Amino acid sequence: MIAATTKKESRTAARFRLSWRSLVPFWLLLPSLIFLAVLQLYPVIYSLYISLHRLRAGQYMPVGFRNFERLFADTNFYEGLAVSFRFVGISLVLTIGIGMLVAVLLNQRSQFNALYMVLMFVPWVVSDVVAGTIWRWLFQQDYGIIQNMIQPLTGSTSLYAKPDGALLIVILATVWRGLPFTSLLFLGALQNVSTEVIESAALDGANRWKTFFRVTLPIIRPTLIVAVILTTIAGLNSVGVILTLTGNIPATQTVSVYLYEQGWQFGDFGLGAAISVVMFFINLGLTLVYLRFQRQD
Amino acid sequence: MVRTQQQRRIDSIIVNGLLIMICLISIFPVAYALSTSFKTQREVISKPPYLIPQNWSTDGYDQVLKSSLIRPHLLNTFINATGSSIIIVVLGVLAAYAFSRYKFPGNKLLQLVILGMIMIPTLTNLIALYRLGSQFDLLNTNIYMILIYVANGLPFGIWIIKAAIDAIPIEIEESARIDGCGPLQVIRYIILPLALPGLVTAFLMEFVFFWNEFLIAVVMLDNNNAKTATVGLLNFQNSYQTAYHVWMAGSVFIIAPVLITFFVLRRQFFRAMLQGAVKG
Repeated sequence: MIAATTKKESRTAARFRLSWRSLVPFWLLLPSLIFLAVLQLYPVIYSLYISLHRLRAGQYMPVGFRNFERLFADTNFYEGLAVSFRFVGISLVLTIGIGMLVAVLLNQRSQFNALYMVLMFVPWVVSDVVAGTIWRWLFQQDYGIIQNMIQPLTGSTSLYAKPDGALLIVILATVWRGLPFTSLLFLGALQNVSTEVIESAALDGANRWKTFFRVTLPIIRPTLIVAVILTTIAGLNSVGVILTLTGNIPATQTVSVYLYEQGWQFGDFGLGAAISVVMFFINLGLTLVYLRFQRQD
Repeated sequence: MVRTQQQRRIDSIIVNGLLIMICLISIFPVAYALSTSFKTQREVISKPPYLIPQNWSTDGYDQVLKSSLIRPHLLNTFINATGSSIIIVVLGVLAAYAFSRYKFPGNKLLQLVILGMIMIPTLTNLIALYRLGSQFDLLNTNIYMILIYVANGLPFGIWIIKAAIDAIPIEIEESARIDGCGPLQVIRYIILPLALPGLVTAFLMEFVFFWNEFLIAVVMLDNNNAKTATVGLLNFQNSYQTAYHVWMAGSVFIIAPVLITFFVLRRQFFRAMLQGAVKG
């Protein structure tokens, strides 16, 4: 009798443990999934919903695609897009290009590498707002130390006051911040390229440039693409550097700053949501394009 | 193709020269900000500008201490960044362990969906999160900031921590499992110590990111008591128009804690990153 009970109990226990065990990954994932569902997925859908409504000064009513019609009729939007693409395009090329150069230099394994890397990472911990503030000061029209150095080049109008100059300073500050992380990503990838591959290429008579572009670069392409995606997304979302560096002037009004202005300065959330939906598809489109490069071999 | 001694020396000079130049460019803006923070108002608006203060002054710091930048703003920054980074690492370990060690239907798909969330631009969610916050009366609270930050940083955190757990051979866990350890015990006693560099890296990256976060903060926080330091610094534009030494002193206050954190954790961070914490 006793034995039977124990046996029955242990069988239930075993079954319980089994079912519990098969749900283990579910329990482990649950907290993360709740966060992501409520504060990542739901907001995306909600943005889509708001973009089909008029939401301004307490009013809230469905208007179909009117926000998008207004958006696509607004020249500021297209100008914002153009500024965004120039800003992201130029900072991307500079960040990736210089980042790769720095990584190749660090990969020569100088004895001072540890020191170089610590110094190089200082900009990485600097907030975009702080970076904007500092770079604004460096290029301040009258008292900026760099502006004073480049005075002979800029003439009477400071770089900050020139239309393209303001954007250039924003780009410099952005590249300055983005460089360390990108360099480190590339360095990690370079260190994982086996020396045998490089040596055999050298034996085949390829010079160092050829080896780098024909052998090394294709091997580290996945990392390159990750860096390109992360830099692009960060650039498209960049608001802090621009607001602190130049405020909201037309020359540096990217789509993201335009969204900030429409939503929080003019209180037009319906239009803001429409912009954010467009931004979402731009991000998605760019990511898919980049990922295509990853797959083709 | 053996390179001669001389060629090698020239290479080394070029490599080190370029790296020193890049280091100088990297630290110059911050060093000059530090120098400016010790200038007087008169010296800030002197032409030509001096690299080093002629009359050292703590006026900038005095002004910052009188403003709200340290309390409450920097304190809020500390609470939000620390709280969210710790929660991200804890939840990230649990989720990453599930992805790394269990076979279940939809494992790969779910990973892909979460990875895809890294690509959701913060801007897209801002208006919805703002509406949600005002509906539940959560705007201007540290709790809501932490919740948003956790959701925002979790995909990247899971990604990095999973790479660290993947690198641990599963055999190490098996004997513990045979001894009857549950998954939480395995995580506590085996995964945590072995994946430590990866966890430190995840923590550091999230901490740096949310310490400096501006876009979400500027949108959600308009009450002075709830603002974070980055938002507070932006307000300096109105209150200290040409007092650049005050701006720079404020910047130094924001940079210093996170720079120290980086310096303490840098070895594990560099090691994990160079071993491919962020995979292609």
